[in-house]
Amino acid sequence: MQRIPIKFAKPGFILGKEAITPEGQVLCGSDTELTEDLILRLKKQGVLVLTIKGHPVRLPGELPLSERLRELDRRFSKVKKDPVLKALETLIGEFWIEQEKGKDYLKRLKTQKS
Amino acid sequence: MDKEEIRKRLKEVESLPTLPPIVSKLNEMVADEDTTATKLGKIIEKDQVLTSKLLRMVNSSFFGFPQRISTVSNAIVLLGFNVIKTLIVTSSIFEVMQASDVGLFEHSLGCATAAGIIAKRLQIKNPEEVSTAGLIHDLGKIVLRSELPEEYEEIIKITNEKGLYIREVEHQRLGIGHGEIGGMLARQWNLPERLVIPIEYHHKPGSSPDFKDITAIVHFSDILIRALGFGNSGDPWVPSLDHKAWELIKFKKSDVKEVISELDEKLVELQDFTLEIKKDA
Ligand SMILES: [Fe+2]
Ligand SMILES: [Fe+2]
Repeated sequence: MQRIPIKFAKPGFILGKEAITPEGQVLCGSDTELTEDLILRLKKQGVLVLTIKGHPVRLPGELPLSERLRELDRRFSKVKKDPVLKALETLIGEFWIEQEKGKDYLKRLKTQKS
Repeated sequence: MDKEEIRKRLKEVESLPTLPPIVSKLNEMVADEDTTATKLGKIIEKDQVLTSKLLRMVNSSFFGFPQRISTVSNAIVLLGFNVIKTLIVTSSIFEVMQASDVGLFEHSLGCATAAGIIAKRLQIKNPEEVSTAGLIHDLGKIVLRSELPEEYEEIIKITNEKGLYIREVEHQRLGIGHGEIGGMLARQWNLPERLVIPIEYHHKPGSSPDFKDITAIVHFSDILIRALGFGNSGDPWVPSLDHKAWELIKFKKSDVKEVISELDEKLVELQDFTLEIKKDA
């Protein structure tokens, strides 16, 4: 899930949480798919931020995936020999990749290779 | 500077205005068997500032109650007095931390969130207590920063220059680590041992004399939150895992995956919480 300012919203994104006005009024529920129209309406009602599924937007200041993975690797550099932590690093990396590229991305990649 | 000198300096911390006077009053009341959550709640609610801080904490996403907690006595019933007392005792410390070290503040909130998720999954009784232990696990670092600012600055400098773990440098320079320091102070403040021991042993959970499960969870939560790169706790490195502690958690891959995903979701909410605090400050 990702929190984004509404100006980054695009049709096809799916709400991970209800869309709420700053006053706390709920406008539409979680799992709603955004459309051009809906985004406009939400903006008009004063919605500022949305929580959406996955991680489809790279916000300003946010590092690109490749860089995040490099940082992840660096943070683990003192514990490379530990198999449990090695597995943890892999899981986090895969989680981020799937978040950005879609759920079955890694699976598809594997079947393509074989 | 040696251990004894640090111990002495910490004794003085007790007399600093960081410990709200209401705490000793509450301690007396809790010792009294006739005290009820309602009575305690009423006393706390006389202090409006404290009450609003407290309610904001108990409603924040790291405890993760689905419904809003609106009174202090409700909070006491739901979270237990240990948690409420700890939040009161440490509330001024957290204020200092928000102002002086946002990175450590985020690290602490993140660790609390992870600890709560893991405790629930392991079906630990009163998971909120485990969250709270996560929240204050690096108490020693805040104390160092505020009580021994020059030494702390030096420690951070050396940590960065040499690419070491901050606690390695603490041991080199002071002969004691932030875990032990935090534990000392928490004990001085009469926080329950269930919370003191996880603070004290979060970097060596295998040697903890008691509450091994809570200590193991805080230990692993600290690792997990650093691994995700959330917050900043003085150095960027993922600490080594104590395998004795891991034996008590021993998640399968699929468990860890679910924990990561649940945590990721909560961390998004946590950002809103920290924004809200910044807005009020
Ligand atoms: Fe620590
Ligand atoms: Fe920590």
